[in-house]
Amino acid sequence: MKKVLEVKNIRKVIRDNEILKGISLSVEEGDFISIIGVSGSGKSTLMYIMGLLDEPTEGEVLFEGVRVDFKNHRLLSEIRNRKIGFVFQFHYLIPELSAAENVMVPMLKTQKSRKDALKRAFSLLAELGLRGKENRKPYELSGGEQQRVAIARALANDPHILMADEPTGNLDSKNTEIVMDIFLALNRMGRTILMVTHEIELARRTKKMVEMRDGVVVGIR
Amino acid sequence: MNHVVFISFKLLSERKRQAIVSVLGVAIGVTAFIVMSSVMMGFQTYFIEQAVDINAHITLKNEEQDEADRILRVAYGDGVISEVLGSKPKETKDKIVDYKFIISKYMQSEDIKGVAPHLTGQAIVRYGIKEKSVNIIGIDPQLEVKASIIDRFMEFKRLNQLNVDRNSIILGSLVARDLGVREIGKKVTLVAPNGSVHVLKVVDFFNSGITSLDQTRAYLHLRTLQTILDRPNQVNELVFKIKDVDDAERLSRVISRETGYYAESWQKAYSNFLKIFRMQNWITYMIVFAILVVSAFGIFNIMMMTVLEKKRDIAILKAIGFEDREITWIFVFQGVFIGFVGATLGCLFGYLLQEWLSSIRFEVVGLIRARGFILDRSPVYFVYGFVFAMFFSTLASFYPSFKASKLFPVDIFRSGG
Ligand SMILES: Nc1ncnc2c1ncn2[C@@H]1O[C@H](COP(=O)(O)OP(=O)(O)OP(=O)(O)O)[C@@H](O)[C@H]1O
Ligand SMILES: [Mg+2]
Repeated sequence: MKKVLEVKNIRKVIRDNEILKGISLSVEEGDFISIIGVSGSGKSTLMYIMGLLDEPTEGEVLFEGVRVDFKNHRLLSEIRNRKIGFVFQFHYLIPELSAAENVMVPMLKTQKSRKDALKRAFSLLAELGLRGKENRKPYELSGGEQQRVAIARALANDPHILMADEPTGNLDSKNTEIVMDIFLALNRMGRTILMVTHEIELARRTKKMVEMRDGVVVGIR
Repeated sequence: MNHVVFISFKLLSERKRQAIVSVLGVAIGVTAFIVMSSVMMGFQTYFIEQAVDINAHITLKNEEQDEADRILRVAYGDGVISEVLGSKPKETKDKIVDYKFIISKYMQSEDIKGVAPHLTGQAIVRYGIKEKSVNIIGIDPQLEVKASIIDRFMEFKRLNQLNVDRNSIILGSLVARDLGVREIGKKVTLVAPNGSVHVLKVVDFFNSGITSLDQTRAYLHLRTLQTILDRPNQVNELVFKIKDVDDAERLSRVISRETGYYAESWQKAYSNFLKIFRMQNWITYMIVFAILVVSAFGIFNIMMMTVLEKKRDIAILKAIGFEDREITWIFVFQGVFIGFVGATLGCLFGYLLQEWLSSIRFEVVGLIRARGFILDRSPVYFVYGFVFAMFFSTLASFYPSFKASKLFPVDIFRSGG
């Protein structure tokens, strides 16, 4: 199996606190990995590094086999735009933009025309059950719907890996179920997913569970 | 760039009220600049044009000079004599001796359009029981029209009457008003300094719009005045009209050197006014500058606030792959847009205000007399106003935009945004 992402001996020190204490992990194509652990164990910190949003203090990150140069901001932006899709607990939709426009944003950054981008945004939103709500502003959508728009946005450029940090953290059980079903369906269709959660029930449904405690990986199932 | 403009616009269009306030701030600054410039420069240019053209570009006089000093300098050369003690001002002859030669010489010059002789003096004009002291100027109408534009200010265009009827006089319009002379053809009495009394017919009024001139001047034929003042064949002033008014300083020095008389350029003659104007311009531009700076601060503030409020959006945009440069442009573009719309509106308001100002009519009596505002409606002020506004609003948006681009998305995500 082809490795999409690999981290080797990652250490992260923030203000003299060693938050990640040597973590190695690899994500293969088609994986659905959940990172689980108690609050403060360093899950988010690890995901930021794997998502090329933050730089490790030590260790290396290989994206599709190539060592990532964290000084090359342009390249980092390019990889994040084309190859990684992010979903966060707080959906971070841009309130001024409609649902469809929010989904368009990452596509506009590529050379895609506005028309094509809009078309794809509509079809993504439709796939996620948001047909007819494309032109609503985020505040006109429920929390669950907003999170689905964020997922559509993460999928906009057909990323090689989807990363989600507590994507259901803010949702009720019904919406949590909807989001989880979407992730499972996406993974069935071949999408590689890395999901941070502290809900063991959700983690169990993924292909691989990585448990973290206090900055180290204590178990992989 | 497309995506940057798109997002920039979206962000801006959702904060219409703030955007409108900043746009108006810029517009007011630009309008103020255009209108103040055109009113002020209009007035100054008008004043200078009138004054300069009436009073000649260069005036040649027999200025009182320190003769002893001058002779010694000629004898021993400049720099040898540092001070001459005990010299007294002597009465020098108030006349230009070889004026006919000077006139014919400079008439040939490329740079000079016309030269005319003047004899100037003081007299009292009486009309009935009223009397008024005036500066009388004896002119040769034929030469005068080539060397100045006084004919343009003749209310009845009858400058040439001075030639036809040697016992005629042209009164400044305010002199005439003060004396109560309401129409031409009236006879006034002129009392010369030597006591002689002459009856002259008023053939025209001189109305330049420059209060100080119209209030004190009277024109006679040169020959008439020479007779009245008992100074046959004498003139004490030559006036020059030159091709390029800005060249007056240099030419005056040349003429001074060549003739030995004192040649005064209009710039020197009006140096007080020019100084005042310069100061006036400074003050105006300071005010306008202040307005522009204030509106720039408005933009700065709003951009700063926007950036603070938009931290979440900036974070996600960066996560999605927007580069620092692009984030900067998203915000700078808003400033540029505000500046552009503000400047355009400002130009429009400026134009409309100019239209209005130039349409209103009222009597202005001061340094000049006019019926309403005299505007300099040069497009240059629009261009400057526009460019300044664009510059300031772009500048004002740069720092907040730069700040925005330096936000570290992880910090935002961590804090829950
Ligand atoms: N900027 C920072 N300054 C200081 N400490 C930090 C900073 N960022 C993270 N930490 C610390 O690092 C540790 C790991 O944080 P992280 O957010 O990765 O945990 P997490 O596993 O995602 O927790 P949660 O489940 O609550 O999201 C925490 O103890 C946190 O206090
Ligand atoms: Mg976390």
